[in-house]
Amino acid sequence: MRQFSKQTGRRLLIALFWVMVWQLAAIAIHNSIILAGPWETGAALWRLLPTEEFWKSIACSFAKISLGFGAAFVVGLGLGSGGYCFPILGELVEPLMALLKSIPVASFVILALIWAGSANLSVLIAFLVVLPVIYIHTVAGLESTDEKLLEMAKVFSMSPWKQIRYIYIPALVPYLRSGCGVALGMSWKSGVAAEVIGVPDHSIGEKLYMSKIYLNTGDLMAWTFVIIVISALFEKAVLRLLSGKRIEGGDYES
Amino acid sequence: MSLEVRDLTKSFHALKVLDRVTLTFEAGKAYCLMSPSGSGKTTLFRILLGLERADGGEVRGIQGKRFGVVFQEDRLCEAFTPLENVLMTAARGITRENARRELCRLLPEESVDRPVATLSGGMKRRTSICRALLAPSDMVLMDEPFTGLDEDMRLQVIGYIREKTEGKMLILSTHDPEDVKLLGARLVRLKPVSRIMETGTEN
Repeated sequence: MRQFSKQTGRRLLIALFWVMVWQLAAIAIHNSIILAGPWETGAALWRLLPTEEFWKSIACSFAKISLGFGAAFVVGLGLGSGGYCFPILGELVEPLMALLKSIPVASFVILALIWAGSANLSVLIAFLVVLPVIYIHTVAGLESTDEKLLEMAKVFSMSPWKQIRYIYIPALVPYLRSGCGVALGMSWKSGVAAEVIGVPDHSIGEKLYMSKIYLNTGDLMAWTFVIIVISALFEKAVLRLLSGKRIEGGDYES
Repeated sequence: MSLEVRDLTKSFHALKVLDRVTLTFEAGKAYCLMSPSGSGKTTLFRILLGLERADGGEVRGIQGKRFGVVFQEDRLCEAFTPLENVLMTAARGITRENARRELCRLLPEESVDRPVATLSGGMKRRTSICRALLAPSDMVLMDEPFTGLDEDMRLQVIGYIREKTEGKMLILSTHDPEDVKLLGARLVRLKPVSRIMETGTEN
């Protein structure tokens, strides 16, 4: 407990230091269009918080980006597992994943605007950005499965279900956690970027775009803060879901 | 039914590990395989288990047979408890309570529900021995099962193995001649030079 409060206090001091640097920079620049200080950002957030549109935008963006992420997670896991079990499928899918990984998000957005329209743009973009990450981590996780444990399973005639539960999933989960850690941040960055380009109604991207149009840097930074918070909460929630049964810090959940 | 190994040959690249090994193991009897390290005991086990293909020769009497196995390494699922490790391979009739009771004969009770990763080497070894003996099996193969066990524990485990393999074929590799007596087993020596098996009894 004492260790925890000491660590929290240290983190708070570090955060306070950077907020002060931010404030000093804002004072030095003395132009709220170029850089809004923490006070103006806080005031903008305070003004936005009680409005219905604020929560509606968050809910819509969250729902769409989560949907894109969730769909990519399921498809990536399925394709990765399929590719591991049937190498021919892996060879078939590999070039597509390499292509998805290397295409710039901006190109995706333009194409997706033509294909899907602006309303569901962030779903598609989050999906396309997350899919190769989950696929690659799934394949790597399954390939990391301990061969000796698989031999043990063969000798003891363990059922496929038991092999999945006791051998494959424990090998896969650390890779999926690491993949999700990367993909969650990417899904929010790309999803919101897509919204800024597509400007769908009731979205965080639309609000960022409007802040740019009206040169309202305070609002822009307030929304950015909101994105960071939601993205971090989303990441924590998903990683907690993936924790399941495992050993970490001496704790063991059964 | 006996297990017959005839003219078994296996090489890894230029290294000949087994050279025309011929041996018969009789049903319901215990055998201790003794020979210096690197003389092919593990390779022989792997061939018997179908994990390695022999270059030549044949093995008779293993078709359709089930094995209880202690590998040279423990090969346990480290994130799971000894109880779960035993239950994941246990015979159909073995309940959770049965498995717990059996494990408690070899392990301290508090360790049965702890993840294997937190156990000592000796505890892991005993878990893998218990797993092999509670699995459905016609034959039991143990590759140096007493590694990491102290003298008292070794004697306790030997007693447990004798009890659980009663009427089954047991083939166990060891470096300690005393194990042969304690297990009431027949001694099998694998000569490292000729790599041909000879069978006999201790004393």
